[in-house]
Amino acid sequence: MMDKSILLVDDEEGIRKVLSIALADLGYRVHTAANGVEALRVFKAKQPPIVLTDIKMPEMDGIELLRRLKEMSPETEIIMITGHGDMDLAIKSVKYEATDFVTKPINDEVLEIALNRAVERIAMRQKLKEYTQNLEQLVQEKSQQLVEAERLAAVGQTVAGLSHAIKNITGGLKGGAFVLEKGIELSDQKYLMQGWEMIKGNVDKITNLSLDLLNYAKTTDLNIQACDPCQPAQEVIDLMRPRAQELGIDLVSDFDPDIKDCHFDADLLCRCLLNMVSNAIDACRNNDPDGPGKTVTVRTRKRRGWGVEYQVLDNGCGMTAKTRKKLFQHFFSTKGSEGTGIGLMISKKIIDAHNGVIKVESKENAGSKFFIKLPKMPNG
Amino acid sequence: MANRKILVVDDERDMRIFVRTVVETSGFEATVASNGTEAIQKAGANPPALVILDVMMPEIDDGIQTYQHFRTDPVLSAIPIIILSAIARKTFLHSIKLLSPRHGIELPDPEAYMEKPPDAGELSRLIAKFSTSDQ
Repeated sequence: MMDKSILLVDDEEGIRKVLSIALADLGYRVHTAANGVEALRVFKAKQPPIVLTDIKMPEMDGIELLRRLKEMSPETEIIMITGHGDMDLAIKSVKYEATDFVTKPINDEVLEIALNRAVERIAMRQKLKEYTQNLEQLVQEKSQQLVEAERLAAVGQTVAGLSHAIKNITGGLKGGAFVLEKGIELSDQKYLMQGWEMIKGNVDKITNLSLDLLNYAKTTDLNIQACDPCQPAQEVIDLMRPRAQELGIDLVSDFDPDIKDCHFDADLLCRCLLNMVSNAIDACRNNDPDGPGKTVTVRTRKRRGWGVEYQVLDNGCGMTAKTRKKLFQHFFSTKGSEGTGIGLMISKKIIDAHNGVIKVESKENAGSKFFIKLPKMPNG
Repeated sequence: MANRKILVVDDERDMRIFVRTVVETSGFEATVASNGTEAIQKAGANPPALVILDVMMPEIDDGIQTYQHFRTDPVLSAIPIIILSAIARKTFLHSIKLLSPRHGIELPDPEAYMEKPPDAGELSRLIAKFSTSDQ
């Protein structure tokens, strides 16, 4: 219910009296003031939604009062009382956003119309405010629901990917068990060996999957230390060289000697590079064995605005545009049951945590280039 | 004498070993191929009585192209095919339908479709069912 109080301002006591009665008859609670200064004081104390003021008053006139009231409370409805021939003032008052004006001598009906109009405007403004508020609230609620839905979708995707990885492994285990069983049943050495190898291989896979998952969960805590960026790259090369040699792949380093120390988590970075190098080796391995020699190169380079850029290059099988797009997605793997699809997902998480950039360039049948850029300091 | 050769096409080694074991222990002879090109070449040189084909090698295209080849090749088109796949049957059939108009004729559905991982008993039953006729 709207506050039906009104402030009546007039310097003539007679008019205040007569109008007070008329306004009270219309259902208003009337506060009065004899001049502008008093009016401001009463207004501050009572906060009436409507003010009815004479335009011509000594000291502070109605226009000045109107201006000050509007400044203080723009939504207050102010009706001006003008005398005959005060048209200029009436127009001026409208310019200062008076709701309306009534002329003396005041006709009750005209006054009522003016007041009703003011009340309507207040009610409308109130409604509008409610709608706007409701709308804002609605938008906020809906956005929150959306964010929640997206988060759930992300969790859903992760779980779906994980269940796919596990399904692949259990498929392999079941297959292995079947082959092994046939080996026992038929006393067939070949089946026994193959079944046993399948089971062992899939046990390794599930072990790796759980380790990967554990690593993924752990990667948020960075142990940042100043370090030569070429050092983890060299470690990875030393670690992977025997495997590359075994497969007839050249693993070469190409380090920029002028790179200064950077601040990063060397262990985690090692993990990223290891993942990339072993991916690169896989990409070369799956290629035609009679084709040209395969090389995996690990480079470090200084880049303007960055501490270091790592590049892992191979001339292996490369990727299609579709694969490239899905590369950093959770559990995406092109290696069938060989891969869990977690490696690059972990790498991206690690590089993101360093405020670095990880990206890939690749052409089908022409090899891939992976880039990691790290800032000098992870926090700027 | 009836042809007892079955061609097993899968890019995953574990799956090849598993399917080969099912084929052999069901009393048939297995030939394996790890990709579409190898499969077409081996089938052309020595047509099998049945093909067991994976459609994700490692992308769906290779499997579907291989399927298409088998179905449109004058020598190989009569060979029944069991599809083994990680994708749902509906998705596979839809892809086949989409690819068909390019060749002017509609590709027939595979004789059987099994979603991975395949059940050994069920696979063995399907092998027996589709390789009994003398090819």
